[in-house]
Amino acid sequence: MNDSAASGDSSSGNQTAPPKATAKKKRNLPGMPDPDAEVIALSPKTLLATNRFVCEICNKGFQRDQNLQLHRRGHNLPWKLRQRSSKDVKKRVYVCPESSCVHHDPSRALGDLTGIKKHFCRKHGEKKWKCDKCSKKYAVQSDWKAHSKICGTREYKCDCGTLFSRRDSFITHRAFCDALAEESAKTTHTVVPPPDEDPIVEAVASSSSPPPPPAPSPPQAPAPLPVPPPTAAVSSVLPVQNPELPESTSPTPTATQMLVETPPVTNLTTTSCSSNSSSSSNRSSSSNVFASLFASSTTSGSLLSQRTEFADLFRAISRPDCTPDIAPSSSSEPVSLCLAMNQGSSIFGTAGQERRQYAPPPQPAAMSATALLQKAAQMGASASNASLLRGLGIVPSSGSPNGPQEWSRPQIDSDGPSLAAGLGLGLACDGGSGLKELMLGTPSVFGPKHTTLDLLGLGMAASGGSSGGLSALMTSINGGLDVGVAAPPYGGGGEYGGDDMVRRL
Amino acid sequence: MNKNQLLRPARSWPGLPTSKSLGSFGDTNCMEQLLVHCANAIENNDATLAQQILWVLNNIAPPDGDSNQRLTCGFLRALISRAAMSGNCKLLTAVANVHANDLSMNNHKFSIIELASFVDLTPWHRFGFTAANAAMLEALEGYSVVHIVDLSLTHCMQIPTLIDSMATRPEGPPLVKLTVAGSMEDYPPMLDLSYEELGSKLVNFARSRQVALEFRVIPSSSSNGFSSLIEQLRMQHLERAQNGEALVINCHMMLHYIPEETLFTNTSTSSLMEITPSNSSLRTMFLKALRSLDPTVVVLVDEDADFTSNNLVNRLRSAYNYLWIPYDTMDTFLPRGSTQRQWYEADICWKIENVISHEGPQRVERLETKSKWVQRMRNASFRGVAFSEDAISEVKNMLDEHAAGWGLKKEEEDIVLTWKGHNVVFATAWSPV
Repeated sequence: MNDSAASGDSSSGNQTAPPKATAKKKRNLPGMPDPDAEVIALSPKTLLATNRFVCEICNKGFQRDQNLQLHRRGHNLPWKLRQRSSKDVKKRVYVCPESSCVHHDPSRALGDLTGIKKHFCRKHGEKKWKCDKCSKKYAVQSDWKAHSKICGTREYKCDCGTLFSRRDSFITHRAFCDALAEESAKTTHTVVPPPDEDPIVEAVASSSSPPPPPAPSPPQAPAPLPVPPPTAAVSSVLPVQNPELPESTSPTPTATQMLVETPPVTNLTTTSCSSNSSSSSNRSSSSNVFASLFASSTTSGSLLSQRTEFADLFRAISRPDCTPDIAPSSSSEPVSLCLAMNQGSSIFGTAGQERRQYAPPPQPAAMSATALLQKAAQMGASASNASLLRGLGIVPSSGSPNGPQEWSRPQIDSDGPSLAAGLGLGLACDGGSGLKELMLGTPSVFGPKHTTLDLLGLGMAASGGSSGGLSALMTSINGGLDVGVAAPPYGGGGEYGGDDMVRRL
Repeated sequence: MNKNQLLRPARSWPGLPTSKSLGSFGDTNCMEQLLVHCANAIENNDATLAQQILWVLNNIAPPDGDSNQRLTCGFLRALISRAAMSGNCKLLTAVANVHANDLSMNNHKFSIIELASFVDLTPWHRFGFTAANAAMLEALEGYSVVHIVDLSLTHCMQIPTLIDSMATRPEGPPLVKLTVAGSMEDYPPMLDLSYEELGSKLVNFARSRQVALEFRVIPSSSSNGFSSLIEQLRMQHLERAQNGEALVINCHMMLHYIPEETLFTNTSTSSLMEITPSNSSLRTMFLKALRSLDPTVVVLVDEDADFTSNNLVNRLRSAYNYLWIPYDTMDTFLPRGSTQRQWYEADICWKIENVISHEGPQRVERLETKSKWVQRMRNASFRGVAFSEDAISEVKNMLDEHAAGWGLKKEEEDIVLTWKGHNVVFATAWSPV
């Protein structure tokens, strides 16, 4: 099993290579031609051409003139086979026309025409032959044929039943699969260790035979971090392994023991979070933060489940105004919601006609975020309270079951106040990442005065009653409106649109 | 920022899934702008502005949207998390305290078999595995005793194939000493198995291939430049030199966790300053220490991006313009909604969160570009070793097994894995000058 890699296939042209004893053995290195050989450079077209020699009678094509001549005999046409005199056999080597290819250099030329043709196809040609079974693609038809014959038969199967088409995958799996451990456990037990082995090693062998021994109870390393204990546990293994040993006998003598100390438990990340809070979990997932914040009864961690909590939250908020289960189309208030959703989409893109009637002329993008948002805040102060809240309250019942598509559906786009359109932007899609909870908050913690002071608009102020919370909510919604108004430049046709999108296409 | 460079038009790839809903609103550039505005607002303590942009972003970047929307959502969450942790929002901080147990991100702990098939799905790691194993095999030719130090994020996942290749060496397998750093930090992908058990599996496997393997773990931490590991290796250095034993250091996406210069420029963590004399960074010192061990070859594989800026916005741009790649590739190897995909995305989100939400020593994802690493290695008196034809063709063959968007680029001695023409992971090999 050890000498299989020693000799690669020597098909291409190295038969003339001077038998130099190279110190380093290189596998499969094509092209070490005779320096006297005639170097032939063929064009890509010639290399790719199949059947250049065509019979004038039946139009059958041949790759070689010789074959055409033989074929012509069948038509009773004159034919001539080139006679090869052994004298003027001049060795020919072929270089690859691709200038970046190593075989472009005459010193790395290939020794036969077929070889260079196949090389050119394989390395620089289109892989147009695809295996139906495994989707592997080939540039050379004969490669594809050869593969097709064996495809599926060369699958690697682990004893655990898992199949692999690639050897690498199989090897990696095999190394870690329990099936190997079980198998070698069997062999370990059936094979008597050779008598000349060191008894200590034998003992070790039995202890390390799978299932893996429980790690020796890890002594806590006493030393603190910078000077770790020089322990590390060395395994004892026979340094020299006899390669001729059959597999079944090998396990025992090479058995290894590992005594590994667990690292001292000194975790930098747990020491302090930048804020005053925090235990080890400073990688807080935001969704969890908000889930726990606003849906205090649940402990969901997954993104998807956020949606329902979100809906619950909205229901809670909207309860005074309307029942949560109202379908969007069943009352007059939802109209503004649906419109809003539609508008929300147009602001960020689809450039509907309606947008024009709400959006101010496009602003320079540079000032969009800050200046416009400030302006927006003023506008928001004068917004009408009730309609906003109704529109808001209905969002969950329509938004949560349908998800993000909702906002782009052209449901009702004929009427509704412009304010609602802006509102819709903010609530446009049910993103569910927990941000809405953040924005909306529980009314009791909102205080109108805190909206500009507290990051994210969440304050500890106990002053805000539910009405205060609602107005704070409204303020932020109007902020959303103004972002939306400022947004058209981002959207289709604006400075940010169009040309940069190709980057990810 | 060199945005123009980042935004060069990419070729279109027929037949590849593209982001379908790249409607005008989903313009990635728009999303990036909003994220930048938001980051600025958070940094300036402008709560109202931050809140409003977060709101908008939330609406255009649902977590189950297309790849760019999910990418943006990851950044959005990281920004929120940063805002929550900054202490400016007391309510969030308070809640975070109360629910501390629920807060840790749900990064999957892989079983070893799961991890093996997981890293097998994409060239992201296989590229480095294939290139590094080929380079190591060549460097180890003729040695009868080889010491491999595996500093790998992927928990020895490339070792079985390396062992397998060594088992079939023409001159017979060497005695392999494998040393791993039992990292005290846990970075994704996280493994649900101790290194002791992992080692016993590897030893068992090596035995089945008639390779003698010694395995050992040295508890060691990237945060102090693997000082204990270096110390151990140094102690064996003399002995090794006398025995004519080869030493190879395989660094697979691990070295970027070692603190570099920018960590000290704006932090007041005096404890770390004590470890580092003068103005030399741990990263520089680590490479110098490696050099002093006189290794036969060092293979350095890492992600080709720069996450080291102390400026949040710069970092955000840089990360956003790199981490779209894993999201974009995902459709080619994992079906939507699959569990593995959730694991995969959670691990990327961990990265995003680390880069965006954290500062100081907790911000461990400190990638540097290939050119920076090349400079570092040269400064440490290493010389680049070119990958052989064989190594490159092995990598190419490996890439052929994956989606059409992956590519291989040769840059001087190094090779780079690309996705749709963008650099993803680089592989370099080094020997002492």
